[in-house]
Amino acid sequence: MSWTERYLATVLRGIAEPRRTDVDRELRSSIEDAIEERVGAGEDRAIAERVVLEGLGDPSALAGAYTGRPSYLIGPELFPLYRRVLPRLIAVVVPVAFFVLLAVKLSGGGDMQAAISSGISGVISVAMQIAFWATATFVFLEWAGPARQARSELVAATGRWTVERLPKVVDGRISVREVAGEIVTVLITIGILLFVASLSTTTASNNEIPVLNGEFRTIWVPILLALYAMRGVGHLLAYNAGRWTTFLAFSNAVIHVAIAVPLVVGALGGMIVSKVFALVISWPGLASGDGAPMLALAVGATLASGWEIVRVFRRARRAQPIRTDARIVSSSA
Amino acid sequence: MPDDELGAHRQELRRGTVVLACLLALREPGYGYGLLKTLEAAGIASDGNTVYPLLRRLEERGLLQSEWNTDESRPRKFYTTTPAGTELATQLLADVSNLTKSLHSLNGRS
Repeated sequence: MSWTERYLATVLRGIAEPRRTDVDRELRSSIEDAIEERVGAGEDRAIAERVVLEGLGDPSALAGAYTGRPSYLIGPELFPLYRRVLPRLIAVVVPVAFFVLLAVKLSGGGDMQAAISSGISGVISVAMQIAFWATATFVFLEWAGPARQARSELVAATGRWTVERLPKVVDGRISVREVAGEIVTVLITIGILLFVASLSTTTASNNEIPVLNGEFRTIWVPILLALYAMRGVGHLLAYNAGRWTTFLAFSNAVIHVAIAVPLVVGALGGMIVSKVFALVISWPGLASGDGAPMLALAVGATLASGWEIVRVFRRARRAQPIRTDARIVSSSA
Repeated sequence: MPDDELGAHRQELRRGTVVLACLLALREPGYGYGLLKTLEAAGIASDGNTVYPLLRRLEERGLLQSEWNTDESRPRKFYTTTPAGTELATQLLADVSNLTKSLHSLNGRS
């Protein structure tokens, strides 16, 4: 089979009747005309055929040009809507799905660790499913002939773009209210830490049993208190500077990691709550590293620190002065 | 200026004029490859993969009409610009002239 026959067969595969026969005849004669001309000018027939076909280019692109089928998945008309819808869909569904999965596992008698890991893997597949089906829907609207009407209605329904749709510009400035809130949070946290450290119970034989493990209470509680105080100072410095600078954001991250690590390691190692205390109140799981309370503490500390680190970095990035090249160039005028 | 930069802008300019060129050229009946040669001779070089599908689209919109000529050894589909096509071409040609004038007047201002 000649190159030309193979080329035509490939083009025609993408074209349905009634156009097909006509395109076949016409394209065939156009290709032969072009080859003939080159052969007439003294070129070898095989070479002429190759040059002509390669000049016409990818047959599936040519078929697309004949049928008007788009050579993209989602076109410029629908793409802005797609960009708006997909992240929002994921942002709404994923947290809901996570807590639903968590609740289902826990109510089914699973432990915290297993519930969290199945929640996370479940959420990943939910997010991928959403991304796939949302994309598939948009591709369908773009490609399917019968969906053309729906597409233009959809684009019309989302309306003309107006200035009201501009997102609010958050300039990263820190308000008094915000810094006051942070300081209050830090003070409350320090208060809770001191309160818990002072708690104890008295056994029947009149022994005082502190709630917290001795080592944790004497070494780590003071360190955590200092770190929380530093966290408060960091917020004050940022307020003073007017914004989170990159340096302050890094310091904030270091402080948060320093807070989270002893909490997580202590919780998972069962080193926070006194084992004696847990026995006395007959809830051994309270002090144990694989009991629900300590797992919850470890997860909570990780999430809280991670959230704060990301939040402050985002603030720092937004607060970067916008570079403008608004220098006025004195013209010859 | 790098060659591909110039090439890309030229292609952009031509893309807008290839419809007009076809409508004007086909006031005399013509077939695919012959039209390519006519355009090339007129200095408006264009590719087959642009022109061949374009001819069908213009026909579907009633701007061209076609007829198979089987008198010669090779059957060829001849296209002719319809009255609607001629009318459109006249308007577009006027637009192009105005554009050229505007561009030259912008150029003359400096």
